[in-house]
Amino acid sequence: MSGKVIQNERTALAQNVINQPDGPGKRIGKRSELALIGQVNPDGGAELFRSRIAQFQAEAAYWETRVGTVHDFRITLIDNDTRLLFMITYDGDFKPYVQDIIEQAHPWFDAIFPGIWVGYKSAHDAATIQMVVDSALTADFLYVAHPDLSVHDISKMKKLSKAVNDLFDAAS
Amino acid sequence: MLQAKLELHDIQGTVLRNRPMPYFGAYLLFRIHNATAARNLIRRLLPHITSAADWEHPAENAWINIVFSYEGLRRMELPAEILAGFPIEFRQGMAARAAFLGDVGESAPDWWDLPHGQNGFHIGLLVMAGSTALRDEKLAIGHAAMAGIEGVSLIARLDVGVPPTLREHFGYRDGLSRPFIEGEGGIPAAGQGVPVKAGEFVLGYENELGQISTGPGPEIFWKNGTYLSIRKIRQKVAAFRNFLQQQAASADAQEKLAARMMGRWRSGCPLSLSPDKDDPSLAETNTFNYYDDDPDGKKTPLGCHIRRVNPRDALKDTITDARLHKLVRRGAAYGPLLPEGVMEEDGKDRGIVIAFVNAHPGRQFEFVQSQWVNDGDFISQGSRTDPIVGRRDHADDFIYPEKPFRRHITGLPDFTVTRGGEHVFLPGLRGLRWIIEMSG
Repeated sequence: MSGKVIQNERTALAQNVINQPDGPGKRIGKRSELALIGQVNPDGGAELFRSRIAQFQAEAAYWETRVGTVHDFRITLIDNDTRLLFMITYDGDFKPYVQDIIEQAHPWFDAIFPGIWVGYKSAHDAATIQMVVDSALTADFLYVAHPDLSVHDISKMKKLSKAVNDLFDAAS
Repeated sequence: MLQAKLELHDIQGTVLRNRPMPYFGAYLLFRIHNATAARNLIRRLLPHITSAADWEHPAENAWINIVFSYEGLRRMELPAEILAGFPIEFRQGMAARAAFLGDVGESAPDWWDLPHGQNGFHIGLLVMAGSTALRDEKLAIGHAAMAGIEGVSLIARLDVGVPPTLREHFGYRDGLSRPFIEGEGGIPAAGQGVPVKAGEFVLGYENELGQISTGPGPEIFWKNGTYLSIRKIRQKVAAFRNFLQQQAASADAQEKLAARMMGRWRSGCPLSLSPDKDDPSLAETNTFNYYDDDPDGKKTPLGCHIRRVNPRDALKDTITDARLHKLVRRGAAYGPLLPEGVMEEDGKDRGIVIAFVNAHPGRQFEFVQSQWVNDGDFISQGSRTDPIVGRRDHADDFIYPEKPFRRHITGLPDFTVTRGGEHVFLPGLRGLRWIIEMSG
């Protein structure tokens, strides 16, 4: 990062932002981000996207629960429907998990992107994977509230917290 | 689906066959100064390279296998487009990947004493035998092949051999669990699980993604070849003994702690089958899993060594597909035993050399090392690392269940340090011939 930081009472809380050790994206502690920009097929890609997105949205919780490491995920068309922006925050490393993510969630991705994202054939196609990795963009700025808590940790804490509350409720 | 039929006569033996017990071996590393000389050396060695087929009916209980680092293949003058087609991990070499693999601090490549691809390890000969005499016979073949060859020099020799205890240096029995490779011959032992697709360990066969694992260039070059991810790990035996003594008052309590860290008693007996007391008769019983039986690690602690390097079915509900991250581990101890009861280091180098067989070093060895050994997220343990071999700069604590309360040990020291490492290519026998004939 270039540019100078003037230390003051507000910079005392600065988070340690690094680049992913093995792949694109920024990272604070366990929490990582990744953005991808794709070209939208000019021949009806935007219309296809709008026709498919409701189903994709409705199935999101199912697929992301299977993957289990994604905190939030956004997709939007930008630049007059000519480009697609894909932004995600997740736990840990990106590149080492590419194959695992594909194995878990390829039907979901394949239900939306073919015909919309130029170059996207199928999640099992090596050229598609390479195209996706090559279209990655690393953020210039990142903030996360809890860099040390993974999706699994949060689920576990929710369970624990509920158990404690249930105990108090039962005792009262 | 038809089961893969492996071309055993073309696959170098170490890929599929276990070492004998006891074992006596050596790693010989060579520097290539001249490609013609290297081709001559390999031509002479070729008739002596042991295949997986010979292994089935061995004429003798000893063998030689041959490997190349990326720099070695470059010096053999392989075409640039073939070199560029190798996986990034192999092209860069293990030393360049140190930060990702956790080889930092005392484990950093600056301290390595076994050469890697960037400082001289170009060709490696792996010799393994059932006796010292047989080993020396194989070494003599290597020496004879070197006669009159200038342009290739022997730069390092590391002898390996089983300690008289038949255990590794920390006192654990090892080599007890490994995947069954489809087509390797024989039938899986109880507890070996579903056979793993051959393409996870040998190029040219279907892998767990349903694809044929391939290499760069013509099929004859890469078919039946694979990669070994080699590690030389120095073990600080006195540090390990002192730690156990400081943390546990009685000998029994020390054994119990050693078992919690490994997931097996030092006899090899799995905690999963006998959590409260050692039962050496169970050492070779491998029929246990975690998902239904022990999801929270009450018997086999979540963070212990064996649940990290081989999670079995524990990750069924997670992002990780454990089938994609299997390794065949070929470990061999080196250095003299630190006599029992000695609590101070004697300055002698001792440890283990492990060759991990994998067709995809990125999603196999490097994944296991970076995500499972040196991190804890996959088991909801934050940055916590392996209590025995993990890096300590990210976390240095270990949690395991105990009665009445769980125990949390902090300030774990380094019990092991990396002293060498390289990803090497182990061609099939036809591939070896192709290498020497291609431009020779």
